[in-house]
Amino acid sequence: MTATLELLGRIGLFGARVVWATVTLQVPLQTFLDQLRTVILRCMLPVIAVVFPFGMVMSLQGLEIFALYGSQRLLSPFVAAAIIRELSPVMASTLVAAQGGASFAAELGAMRIKEELDATDVMGVDSLAFHAAPRVLALTVACPVLNLMGCISGIVGGYFTAVIMEGEAHGVFMSEMWGLTGPADVWGTVIKTTVFGAIIGLISCYLGFNTRGGAAGVGRAVNDTVVYSILVFIAANYLLTSAFFGGAMP
Amino acid sequence: MSFVAGIGRFCIFLAAFFRATIRRPPHPGMVLAEAYRIGVKSLPVLVIIAAFVGTNLALQGYNAFAPLGGQRLVGMFVSTAGIREMAPVIAAAMIAAKAGTEMASHIAVMRIREQIDALEVMAVDPMWYLILPRLLGIVLVLPALTIIAIFTTLCSAYLVTVWQLGLNGAVFLEFARQGIQGVDFIYCMTKGLVFGIIIALVSCFFGFEAGRGPEGVGRATNGAVVTVSVAVVFLNYFLSELFYG
Repeated sequence: MTATLELLGRIGLFGARVVWATVTLQVPLQTFLDQLRTVILRCMLPVIAVVFPFGMVMSLQGLEIFALYGSQRLLSPFVAAAIIRELSPVMASTLVAAQGGASFAAELGAMRIKEELDATDVMGVDSLAFHAAPRVLALTVACPVLNLMGCISGIVGGYFTAVIMEGEAHGVFMSEMWGLTGPADVWGTVIKTTVFGAIIGLISCYLGFNTRGGAAGVGRAVNDTVVYSILVFIAANYLLTSAFFGGAMP
Repeated sequence: MSFVAGIGRFCIFLAAFFRATIRRPPHPGMVLAEAYRIGVKSLPVLVIIAAFVGTNLALQGYNAFAPLGGQRLVGMFVSTAGIREMAPVIAAAMIAAKAGTEMASHIAVMRIREQIDALEVMAVDPMWYLILPRLLGIVLVLPALTIIAIFTTLCSAYLVTVWQLGLNGAVFLEFARQGIQGVDFIYCMTKGLVFGIIIALVSCFFGFEAGRGPEGVGRATNGAVVTVSVAVVFLNYFLSELFYG
């Protein structure tokens, strides 16, 4: 318990230093843009490859239930709402943690083990601002972008199953789609994934930055990154969902 | 191109694995040790994640059905979505993130420290010694973990429905029961079984193929968890189509 609290405190301090480095403009812009491009390119395919089949499954199960009541036209708003509000943020962020966060932890961990980070410090460049902060910021910015790609591919997946495979009407699917979702939901999903991206970035870069114990330590850092960042952002997801789409608090 | 090459290498790996293990029964003690390690160590993480999945299913179900006046359907929504899709996939994803990455990084570290070569020199088949117990261990525990994930999901959804959303608990339970059929449990344990096989084989494959140095370990661990997640979600679609389509 104390160890967990201590870890949380250290990650908080790390986050404060990242914010300070960002406000005082110590973060090199070019590195940030490079990392942003890298993480988006790395995660794009996995995110699409995971959310697309999820949309297909939603459509498959939804059709079966709505067909019972003869209300297949409720399918597309249901799929769109489920994907945009919940499934795409969670699945896309899981993949960002597994792919982007883990690879950043591995990179920083390998740099720590090979003493490249110490070498940066010796040259008078703050290794946190130079190596860790751009990666944290890149994940924070990339996560909402990847989530929007996930939303689109999920809805396309739902369309694929419903219209192309099960033969529902194209016009009904398209015209009813925004029945349940509005601009507030899109803002909700963007804000949620920005927070998730920041969580993933802080945890992965903290664990990579503080790797110890050789090659096995890098493996452990990657492993812990995936587990901890998913745990924390799922917990945050409950709070954010309650805040945005809450329902009646007693 | 490297993707196709990877699939080819994976098939060769599978062939080598079956050739090495088909005639040799596993060591029961090692299988139990792996099952214990995978099952018990991953349990806390899995329970926490499954609980939050349940809370959000309840919130979103309420949110979707309340405008239509169908708050009572929340129970049915939670049980259908939770049991059929969410619990098996979440359980598999968490076991991949926790136990799968551990397998990959453990085997990758052994590879770069040349311990796997040392095993071969001692005439111990590394496939039999390292992979078979992990495969059988995960196959033993993952169906059970899936059932635990279902139970946790339903419990947390019940708590949210009653305390946060203020709906009637008995109505929730009755509608939840209507969403569940006995055969669903068999389907989702089958899903757990298939996902377990995928997790163990792919993670061990990435560990075996690890490149040099600390980056090799990091990259192997990273590649394992991403590949497993994508494979699990894809397979989930085909299994759902097979069972419910």
